[in-house]
Amino acid sequence: MSVEQEKLLVVKDLATTFHTAGGDLPAVGGVSFDMERNQTIGIVGESGSGKTVLSRTIMGLQQRTNVTVTGSVLLSGFEMVGASEDDKRKRWGTEVAMIFQDPMTSLNPVMKVGKQIDETLRVRLGMSKVDAKARAIELLELVGIPSPQYRYDAYPGQLSGGMRQRVVIAIALACSPQLLLADEPTTGLDVTIQAQILNLLEELKERLEMSVVLVTHDLGVVATRTSRIIVMYAGRIVEIGSTREVFAGHRMPYTRALLESSPKVSNASHTRLTTIPGRPPNLLKLTDGCSFAPRCSYATDKCRVERPELQAADEPGHMFACWNPLPKTRRTVRK
Amino acid sequence: MTETREPLLKVSDLVVTFGMGRHQVAAVAGVSFEIYEGETLGLVGESGCGKSTTGKALMRIVEPSSGTIELDGTDVIAQKGKALRNIRTRMQMIFQDPISSLNPRRRIKDIVAEPLDCWKSVTGDERDVLISDLLTKVGIDPKVYGNRYARQFSGGQCQRISIARSLAMRPKLLICDEMVSALDVSVQAQILNLLEDLKHEYGLTLLFIAHDLAVVKNVSDRVAVMYLGRICEIGPADTLYEAPAHPYTKFLLGAALEADPDSPVHGEVLGGEPPSPLNPPSGCRFRTRCPFATEKCVEIEPQLEEVAPGHHVACHYPLTISKK
Amino acid sequence: MSNFPQFSVLEEAILVEKPEAKEPLGILFWICVGWIGLNIVGALFANVLPIENPLFQNYSFINSGPSLHHLFGTDDLGRDILARVIYGSRVSLSVGAGAMVIGFGVGAPLGMLAAYRRGRFDTILTNVMYVLLAFPAIIATIAILSFWTPRSLFKIIVVIGVASIPLVYRVIRTATLSVATKDFIIAAKVQGATDRRIIFRELTPNIAPIAISFLLIGVATVIALEGALAFLGLSVNPPTPSWGNMINEARTILQVNPWLVIFPSAALCLFLLCLNFIGDRLRHHFDVTEVKL
Repeated sequence: MSVEQEKLLVVKDLATTFHTAGGDLPAVGGVSFDMERNQTIGIVGESGSGKTVLSRTIMGLQQRTNVTVTGSVLLSGFEMVGASEDDKRKRWGTEVAMIFQDPMTSLNPVMKVGKQIDETLRVRLGMSKVDAKARAIELLELVGIPSPQYRYDAYPGQLSGGMRQRVVIAIALACSPQLLLADEPTTGLDVTIQAQILNLLEELKERLEMSVVLVTHDLGVVATRTSRIIVMYAGRIVEIGSTREVFAGHRMPYTRALLESSPKVSNASHTRLTTIPGRPPNLLKLTDGCSFAPRCSYATDKCRVERPELQAADEPGHMFACWNPLPKTRRTVRK
Repeated sequence: MTETREPLLKVSDLVVTFGMGRHQVAAVAGVSFEIYEGETLGLVGESGCGKSTTGKALMRIVEPSSGTIELDGTDVIAQKGKALRNIRTRMQMIFQDPISSLNPRRRIKDIVAEPLDCWKSVTGDERDVLISDLLTKVGIDPKVYGNRYARQFSGGQCQRISIARSLAMRPKLLICDEMVSALDVSVQAQILNLLEDLKHEYGLTLLFIAHDLAVVKNVSDRVAVMYLGRICEIGPADTLYEAPAHPYTKFLLGAALEADPDSPVHGEVLGGEPPSPLNPPSGCRFRTRCPFATEKCVEIEPQLEEVAPGHHVACHYPLTISKK
Repeated sequence: MSNFPQFSVLEEAILVEKPEAKEPLGILFWICVGWIGLNIVGALFANVLPIENPLFQNYSFINSGPSLHHLFGTDDLGRDILARVIYGSRVSLSVGAGAMVIGFGVGAPLGMLAAYRRGRFDTILTNVMYVLLAFPAIIATIAILSFWTPRSLFKIIVVIGVASIPLVYRVIRTATLSVATKDFIIAAKVQGATDRRIIFRELTPNIAPIAISFLLIGVATVIALEGALAFLGLSVNPPTPSWGNMINEARTILQVNPWLVIFPSAALCLFLLCLNFIGDRLRHHFDVTEVKL
C-alpha cells in the first residue's frame, strides 16, 4: 500500500459506461496502469478508443446521470472515483489539471484572458487582486506569450490558436498541479505551432516538476516526448510499455498496424501504405473476444470468443493483450 | 520529368481577395504553377496560407480577382453559366469534412449518380450499372448499401462515396482538399491507397492539398509549399524533402513529427506566428520569422527562381542544395 | 495486387452493425394527432353532424349546465355550447391554416432564396424584414383590423398572414443558412448542378423538417392570436361563433355560467397543446444530427 501511495497515479480496473438509448456503451472497459512522478506518458488511440473518456474519468469530470464509473483512480493516494464534487474540486488545479483540444471551449470568449487567470488565483489561492494580476502576468510570461502585460487585457478571440492554447496552459498551471492531463493539446494547430507548444509542455514539466499525460491520436506527438506509451483500442489497453519498446519491440498486431499505416516524411513518394481493413468496432456491439479480431490477419477462433488479458513481455513494464503476439524481434521503425 | 510536355493545368498570377476597402485580404497573392498530365502535385502550408482558397478558386467556387487558369487549353475564368458548369465536371473536388460533403437525406446511389443526372449524360440501366461499378471500385457493395442514406456511414466510408461521385463524370483533374485530415490513421491509409489505385485506373491528375507533410510526401510527385498567400518553393517531392532550399520549408520539415523515437530530436523550432494577411510584411513574406533575413529581404520581394532542374525557390539566400 | 477486394467484405460486416437508432414517436404523439384530426373532421363536417344549429336560441334552456340533451350545456341565449364549440373551430382552423399558407407561401421561398443567394438581395430583404419585425405585430394587427371594416374572416386571415411573413422568413433563412454552408452544397455545384436543382434536391429536404415543425407551432400561435383578437372583439362578428369570441361573450356572465368559459377555453388549449407537442416531437424525430451519438 505504501508503495502505491508513493505513486502519483494508480488506475485500477477503471470502467466508464454510458447508458445510451441504444444500450450500454463501455467507452472505457477495465483499464489499469500507474504512473510515477515527473514522468510523461502518452495515451494513443484512434477515435472511439476511449482515450478521451479515460482522461476525463481520471480527472473526475464525469458527472452526468447516465454514466457509471467503476474501479479506482488513486491520485496521490486519494480515491477520485465516487468522491464528492467538493473533494474533487479541491484537487482540481492543485493536484490535477486538464487542457483540451479546442482552447476556445475552455476559455470564456467575453472575458479578458488575464481576468480568467486572475479568477482562478483569487478563488483557489485567496490571492489579493494586485498579487493575482502580477502572478497572472508572470504565468503568461512563463508560457511564452510575448508582451504579457499587453496580452493580459486581450479577449480570447483576439488571440491566435497557438496563443490561446498557451493561455489555457497558463490557467491550468495557475495552482501548480502535480499532474497535467493534455487531451489532444495540439491537434488543431499548425505543425510549427504544434512544435512550439510541445516544447513548451516539456520545458514546463521539467521546470515545475510535474507529470504530464499526453492523450493523442498522433504517434508522432508521443514518439520523442514520452517515456511510456499506452496504446488503446475499443476502450481497453492493448499494449503498454516504454516508448522505445512499444515502437521497436511491440507484440500486439494493432500497434504494428497503427505504426505502419501512418505515412512518414522519410518515405519515398508513392510509397504504398500498409493498411488494416475495416474500422474500429461499434462499442455498443462488442463481442466476448478480442475487439481487434475482425480486422486482424492473425486472428484465430480463440481470438473471436475469448478476450486476451494483458500479459507481461520480456522487458519489465511492457505488457500486451494478444493470443497470437508478434515474435520477439526488434523491429526498426525506419525504412 | 519536366520535358516539353503541355501542362494540363496552368495557373498564373492567381490572386483571390476577400473583403473590401481597408479590410481587404489577399488570401492568395499571386500564385503560379503548372500541373502536368498524370502527376500529383502536393500543395502544403499552414492554416491561412491560402492553399484551400487556391483549390476553390480553380473550381471557381470562390472568384479569383485576377490571374489566369487554363485547363487543357480552356480559359476557366472566362466561362459563364452552362459552360462554367460544364468545365467544372472536367475537374472535381473532394472536401475535408466527409460527413458534411454528402447530403444526409439522400441515398448514396443517388448521391453518386448526381453528376450524371445533372447532365443526363447516362440514363436508365446504363446509369445503374455505372453507379454500381463506381461504388464497387471504392469498396462499397452497391447491392447492400446503395439504398442507404449518407448519414448512416462513417467518415472513411463517406470519403469513399465522395470519391465515387467525383469520378462519375470521368474528370481529368481531381482536387483533394485536406481529404484525409479528418480521418483516423488506419482509415486514412486505406483512403490514400485507394486514391493511388484509382489515379492509375482513371488516368487522373491530382492536386493534393494538405497540411500534413508526411501525407503529401507519400502521394506527390512534386510539392509546392505556400506561405501567406504565395508559393515559396516548388519542386520534385524527393529533392524538396531531402534538401529544402527555402528556410520556411526547412523549418516546416523540422517541425513535422515522425512516429519514431529515434528520429532526430526536435531540430530548431520556428518561433513566432504567421503575420496577419491583412497586413503582410514588405519584401519577403517570411522575413519576420526567418533567422537569415537581411535588409534585402525587407526591400525586395524574391521571385521563384530555378535552383535545380524543376526546383524553384522564392528566396534571396536559398539554402545550399549540395550534400546532406 | 492490393488487398483491396477484401474491403467490401469487411466493410459489409462492420456496416451492418450501424443501426438507424430512431426513437419511436410514442403513443402521446398519436393521441395528439388523433385529437387534431378529430377537430378538423368536426370543423369540416359540422353541418352534417348530429348537433344543433349553433345559432338556434332555445329560451327554455338558458344557462343550463351539461346534461344529456346539451352535453356542454347552453349559453345565456339558450344556444347549444357543443354545437358552438364545433362550429367555432371552423374560424380558428381557417385562420390558422389560411394565415400560415400566406406566411409560408411568401416567407419560406424568400428566406431560402436569400440564404442561398446571399449578397445584396439578402442584405436588403433581411433588413426590410427586420424593420417589419420591429413593429409590435399584435398592435399593428389590432390597428389595421379596427379600421378595415366591415370585418370578415378573409380580412383577418390576410392581416395575420401578412404579419407572420417576417417571422417565417427569419426562421427559414436561418435554417437554410446552416445547410447552405455545408460542403455538399458546394459539391453539388461542382458537379454542375443548376441552382434550381440545388434548391429542390439538396436544400429543401434538409429544411423541410424544421419548416414543418415551425409550421405547426405557427398555426398554434396564429390560432391563439385569433383568440386574443376575438377577445378584444376584433375577430368575426357575432353571432358567428369562434373560440375566442365565445370566451369573450362568456366573460360577463362568468359567475352565472362558468361552463360557457370552460368548454371553449378547453378546446382552444387542448388544440394548441397538441399542435405544439406534435411540432416538437417531429423536430426531434427528424433531427439527423441527434441520431448520431
